[in-house]
Amino acid sequence: MNEVKALGTFYFSQMLGKPIYDSKHRQIGRIKDMAVRWDGLYPQVVGIKYAKKVHTLIPIEQVQDCSEKGMQLSGPFAAENCVPLHDEDIYISKWLLDKQIIDLRGSRMVRANDITLSWLTQDDHMRMLLVAVDIGLRGIFRRLGLEFLVKNHAHNLLGVQYIKPLESWTSSLQITREKKQLSELHPADIADLLEEMDYKSRVSFIENLDAQQAIDALTEVDLETQVEIFEQMDAQKASDLLEEMPPDEAADILGELSVEKSEGLLQLMEAEDAAEVRELMQYEDGTAGALMTTEFIAFSAKITAEQAINQLRELAPSAETIYYLFVVDEAEHLQGVLSLRELIIAHPQTMLETIMHTKVETVRDDDTHRRVAEVINKYSLIAVPVVDEDNVILGIVTVDDVLDILIPERGNRETYPWFAMSKMVGRGR
Amino acid sequence: MTWLKNTRNRTRLFFAIMGPGVITAFADNDAGGIATYASAGAHYGYAMLFTLFVSSICLAIAQEISARTGAVTGRGLSDLIRELFGVKWTLFAMTVLLIANVGTTASEFSGIATSFEIFGISKYLSVPVAAALVWWLVLKANYERIEKVFLLLCVTFLSYIISGIIIDPPWEEVLKASVTPQFAPNASFLMLAVGVIGTTITPWGQFYIQSAVSDKGITAKDYKYTFWDVMVGAFFTWLIAFFIIVATASTLYVNGISIDTVGDAAIALQPLAGKYASMLFSFGLLGASMLAAFILPLSTAYAVCEAFGFEHGISKSYEEAPVFFGLYTALIVIGAGLVLWPDLSLYRIMLASQVVNGVLLPPILIFMVLIASNKNVMGSYANSPRFNLIAWIFTFVLIVLTLMLLVSTIAPETWSCMMAYLGL
Repeated sequence: MNEVKALGTFYFSQMLGKPIYDSKHRQIGRIKDMAVRWDGLYPQVVGIKYAKKVHTLIPIEQVQDCSEKGMQLSGPFAAENCVPLHDEDIYISKWLLDKQIIDLRGSRMVRANDITLSWLTQDDHMRMLLVAVDIGLRGIFRRLGLEFLVKNHAHNLLGVQYIKPLESWTSSLQITREKKQLSELHPADIADLLEEMDYKSRVSFIENLDAQQAIDALTEVDLETQVEIFEQMDAQKASDLLEEMPPDEAADILGELSVEKSEGLLQLMEAEDAAEVRELMQYEDGTAGALMTTEFIAFSAKITAEQAINQLRELAPSAETIYYLFVVDEAEHLQGVLSLRELIIAHPQTMLETIMHTKVETVRDDDTHRRVAEVINKYSLIAVPVVDEDNVILGIVTVDDVLDILIPERGNRETYPWFAMSKMVGRGR
Repeated sequence: MTWLKNTRNRTRLFFAIMGPGVITAFADNDAGGIATYASAGAHYGYAMLFTLFVSSICLAIAQEISARTGAVTGRGLSDLIRELFGVKWTLFAMTVLLIANVGTTASEFSGIATSFEIFGISKYLSVPVAAALVWWLVLKANYERIEKVFLLLCVTFLSYIISGIIIDPPWEEVLKASVTPQFAPNASFLMLAVGVIGTTITPWGQFYIQSAVSDKGITAKDYKYTFWDVMVGAFFTWLIAFFIIVATASTLYVNGISIDTVGDAAIALQPLAGKYASMLFSFGLLGASMLAAFILPLSTAYAVCEAFGFEHGISKSYEEAPVFFGLYTALIVIGAGLVLWPDLSLYRIMLASQVVNGVLLPPILIFMVLIASNKNVMGSYANSPRFNLIAWIFTFVLIVLTLMLLVSTIAPETWSCMMAYLGL
């Protein structure tokens, strides 16, 4: 029978430094640290480090009891019974205590103030599990020996299933688990986390994301952080990501890098993607041309609604928006527009030229972003096409690109804003 | 619009050369710095130049350690202290930082008050208005642009260099004094010496440069540029401080004028600006004080919250980050409140806060050196044993100086007995 009986929970901080006695009542050392292995649902304590500079551990099987007074071993202590640290084992205090971790439940960075261990028996085996991390005020006060001051304060514990340490776990099982949990986060939340991390953690964090998620998250990150990340990434990986990002974002990032670096990355990118980005990079900041994306959907006027829907299936995945479908002639002159709704409800054999609207609100590529916003606002558009002086369509500006400019996310700089003249200070060499 | 693009490129080039090290150098010469250097020049002539010289070298060493740690780890100092030393030591370090920064914030508000008093505006009007303005601008508005205005105002302190050259002091004597150890075994000399060290190398400056370096994404491989940036910065700190002491020494000390308010330090600018000296001085003082008043409370709140894992960031709401906003507001209120205390001399507040900074510096230095010599954290960028020796000697000297200051202030009689015994 698989009977599990909980014997108690205690805090890691309260065990640290407590004496260890063996069956002959000799004090053989103090609890210096505990090693855990995470191959099941919860990380399990496998051994106790009992003295400084000693690298073998007392196996957890020898522990008979654990209380505030100290730890009691079941038999007499002998150094040769101790076990070395296994490759997949990690010291709790080195790996978790006082470290910054990601709270996957709230998608934010928190600090591990204390650790909750649970002491239980299963089929007469003693087991000690790491069940939660204390991220609240009580944890801090407990460490200072002042917990009584905040007795009325609620505990703020985070279950171990919701944590992601910045230093990744080595066991392959946990890597899979982490990947699965990360895939459930929203790209915008991942972006916020990336902005807060130091540069070393970012690298390993991005590697943990799958390719599409990495691209989505990087698109959401603020420009300063994007630039930092791409500057530090190796060129091959950076160019691969840039190819997949929306060209307007890629152009913004490359525009902030040094000429050498951005030229190098453009060379590595596929010619077609690179050409698109280069074109966007030529526009002055704050103009419609700089804001627009070239990933819009355009059809010829001479096809039927049915043909258009078939083409749409192929084009849709890479387009920024599919709600507005533009109609152009062979030389890309903008002739009309129709909405997705109009396309779907139209009779399959109708020619597009009969259902499209020929009066299209457009902006010019050198219009200011203010004008773009005015047009979008006045006509309640989701996106507005950008055309040149010959009415050739160049791209579209979507409403969220305009919102970004009108309502910048305040205080993106989560870390020190000292002399926040710009993060570019002291870097762009 | 090409002219616009060109100017933008040029300013970018300028800021590319001027990195965190140089900016810290300007920030180091804040209201308290001016007060301390001016007082050193006015009371002891050129005698304090040697202390300044040594503390500038130590500034370069300390800033180098912090900048290197920031570049290698990508993390702030309070973050590393927490991870490597645990909660108790973090509480200690943060208490030290809080006390030092409350003092420095008060000294910045004294600077603001002084610069307005030169124009006859009472501190009871200027300080509350400035405090409210700082609080509001940082939390509710975009203060980055305004910050540049204040940074520009700071440049007026370069006028001390011109003034010093116009005065044309006996250069031979001045240079000799800079490298000759001079020491007077009394409490006021000691206090000023600790003050000079405390204003040159500040606890907050160490936290600042490390965060600035890591926030700007400077990595270990870019560090060679930052190294020179730090060295140039330390040189500038020394240069401006040197000329303030020279200018005040050759105008005030030589003529036996004692200095009662910081405003008196403006006299040293008269050779350059004539009757406009006070005005020039007050602009510079206002710029430096406002600049530091903006960043000090905010940076302190960031450091403390980062260390303890409280939610922080100006983009958060009060409900999300109560500790952060509480600390930030408390620092401004206490800092400004101290200045409004009746019968308290603004000049004394500025000097005292620099001495407090000097006394509280050694603990922070010990943390810094321990972290920078930790091979697990720093890898191949860890301090070499020889470099560590220099760093420890400096920390030790500063501790001894602090202890001497404490003894000579608390028990002056015991002190004079000790000095007599040593034959000084």
